[in-house]
Amino acid sequence: MDAMQELGNIGAAHAATTLSQLLSSTVEMSVPKIMTVDIAQLADHIGDESAALVVFELQGEIPHGGYIIFYISRKSAVHLTNTMLGLTDPDRPLSEMDESALIEVGNIMASAFLDAAAELLGFVMIPSPPALTIDMAHAAMQSLIAQMQEEINEVMLFSTELFCEEHKIDSDIIMMPETSTLKMFVERLDNLMKPI
Amino acid sequence: MSEPISHNKMPVMIGIGEYHVGSVPMMAIGLGSCIGLAIYDRDRRIGAMVHIMLPESSGRTDRPGKYADTAVPLLLNTLSNMGCHKSSLVVKMAGGACMFEYFGNNLNIGERNAEKVRAVLAENQIRISAEEVGGKSGRTVAFYPEDDGKVTVRSADGAAHEI
Repeated sequence: MDAMQELGNIGAAHAATTLSQLLSSTVEMSVPKIMTVDIAQLADHIGDESAALVVFELQGEIPHGGYIIFYISRKSAVHLTNTMLGLTDPDRPLSEMDESALIEVGNIMASAFLDAAAELLGFVMIPSPPALTIDMAHAAMQSLIAQMQEEINEVMLFSTELFCEEHKIDSDIIMMPETSTLKMFVERLDNLMKPI
Repeated sequence: MSEPISHNKMPVMIGIGEYHVGSVPMMAIGLGSCIGLAIYDRDRRIGAMVHIMLPESSGRTDRPGKYADTAVPLLLNTLSNMGCHKSSLVVKMAGGACMFEYFGNNLNIGERNAEKVRAVLAENQIRISAEEVGGKSGRTVAFYPEDDGKVTVRSADGAAHEI
């Protein structure tokens, strides 16, 4: 479990660094959480508030490995794109330009997370092309869970909060691997931990 | 005029694959491709609600509420055992959206969920009185058996409306 924690840690730290570079500001990250969540209790973790989710499928050596998600509340999403686009109105509706900017941020962060995780694990993980939704967060996560390849009653979420105080941005990077992907993680990490 | 009392009670939250039977308000939040199915008995003024995730159980029995093909009989049998008659049932459903067209490994689960619910209800000679399914947006569904079985649907940026 310590090794899994390290995996989440390395991925999130790299994502945080890229976000910090993108915003030219300090980005802090929470202690990465690894949660096993029964799907019946998903709503205890992710509610029906409006949020932007940039979603990528995990691809590479594992064809349908699960998902990685850049999650940002609607309010924070405006703060983020305002910072990037040089705008100031915090109450404006999101436009196509914002959507492109959010996808770009998600892309950069998901790639950073997966690059770092892949390097630790020693196998290739690349993000699929992105899909963006700005809608109820629970509805989006539920739709992804319903599409997972393996029949499951529980999902494992690698979740880390990334926040930028200067621009009032609060976001999460969440990895939700398939069961078979998790098994591969465990095998690789076990090998790494073995004394030589 | 309907009594507003039931709205003040905390609703029972129905998670993915769960169901509830009774007269208290019930709620399934953030339905994407999932279906919220509410069945109300006009005579006994009770109802049942289930939060369905997938169309087919393929023989699995551990969580009957999770699959359309087992969830519908589950609710009908439970209500029947409580003395409800088919003729007095009012059925409403919402959900079944398609939020991510890109990840189309399992072609439109939302639509398949809704079709399966309709098919199993039809096998039982029960018709649906109201439904709000499909589209690309998530929905939160609430069910108030004590308020004549009222069902409301809310989307991310909208107010709740009755169906």
